[in-house]
Amino acid sequence: MNAIFGIVLILSTLILTFTSPDTVMSAFLSGGEKALTLTLKLLVVYSVWLGVFKLMGKSRLSEKFSLLLKPLNKFLFGKVPSTANDFMSLNISANILGMSGATTPMGIKSIRELEKHPNTEYAIAMFFVINATSVQVIPSSVLALRTSLGSTSPSDIILPTILATLLSSIIGVLLVKTFIKKPKR
Amino acid sequence: MKYFIPILFLVIFIYSSVKKVKPYDSFVEGVKSAVPFTVSIFPYLVSIFILCELFEISGISKILTDLLSPLFNLLGIPKELTKLVLIKPFSGSGSLAVLTEIFNTYGVDSYLSRSACVIYGSSETVFYVASVYFAGSKTKNLTKPIIISLFANFVSCVFACFICKII
Repeated sequence: MNAIFGIVLILSTLILTFTSPDTVMSAFLSGGEKALTLTLKLLVVYSVWLGVFKLMGKSRLSEKFSLLLKPLNKFLFGKVPSTANDFMSLNISANILGMSGATTPMGIKSIRELEKHPNTEYAIAMFFVINATSVQVIPSSVLALRTSLGSTSPSDIILPTILATLLSSIIGVLLVKTFIKKPKR
Repeated sequence: MKYFIPILFLVIFIYSSVKKVKPYDSFVEGVKSAVPFTVSIFPYLVSIFILCELFEISGISKILTDLLSPLFNLLGIPKELTKLVLIKPFSGSGSLAVLTEIFNTYGVDSYLSRSACVIYGSSETVFYVASVYFAGSKTKNLTKPIIISLFANFVSCVFACFICKII
């Protein structure tokens, strides 16, 4: 990350110094502004979900819920601590249903829980790859956009999208299983 | 699908009241942990967004697009879609802008637009997920998972362009 950041920083500032020197500062500021907007949005989304999670956790509903997804989780992640397992189940179901606002807080929480325990590098890697290869079933935002622009059959992209999504997730899972060592326990 | 969240919330609220959980105290307790968390990821987000902004404005992204499009072409990705494939791992809003641009230029039902939809829907903002999920966390070695995700997403882009030709 340091290498990428350094290279882009030097290279782009160098280019801009020659092409349009007055945009350098504004590029930095607008990047920061976008981050601030996102952070505020995240704060609100995160507050709502964490409030609801607390209720779920205290009433032990999240434990019941993750029992449903236990076989799938076991296949993907191996043995994981049960607190992390609850959040991971929620994240995966939110991903599948395309509830994009809810996946991030649950995902972050899962990673934090996993990191509290030793020997979870494999589960963390697998969890990240699943989140980063998209497992969404219904591409709702794209469908809405196509309909609004007057497409004659907006839904004809659903099947290809599902197939492509499945393909990327399967490749991701297989590659993690091949290249990242599962801890022996 | 639109009933999912209301029903989920209802089930949680009713179940926890049956289990005699104090709703107000617990909710506040949950929200409390959101504040330090958001503050802790803010510096990471600022840095990543500045990076993306510089990448775009300086023209590096355009240079990369021009350099890589012949290679992408060999794999069946049309040059009009190279920008989308390249920007998707970095930014969700950026790729949505590119997608809209493709719709407006080539028509919503064209082969290019349909492939673009599938690319957009089947790949994910890898670097964004990595920076947000792991902001300030202990896990440092993400190189392998990031490469795996990028590769898997790229294969699905190639597949998207291929399948949209048949269907």
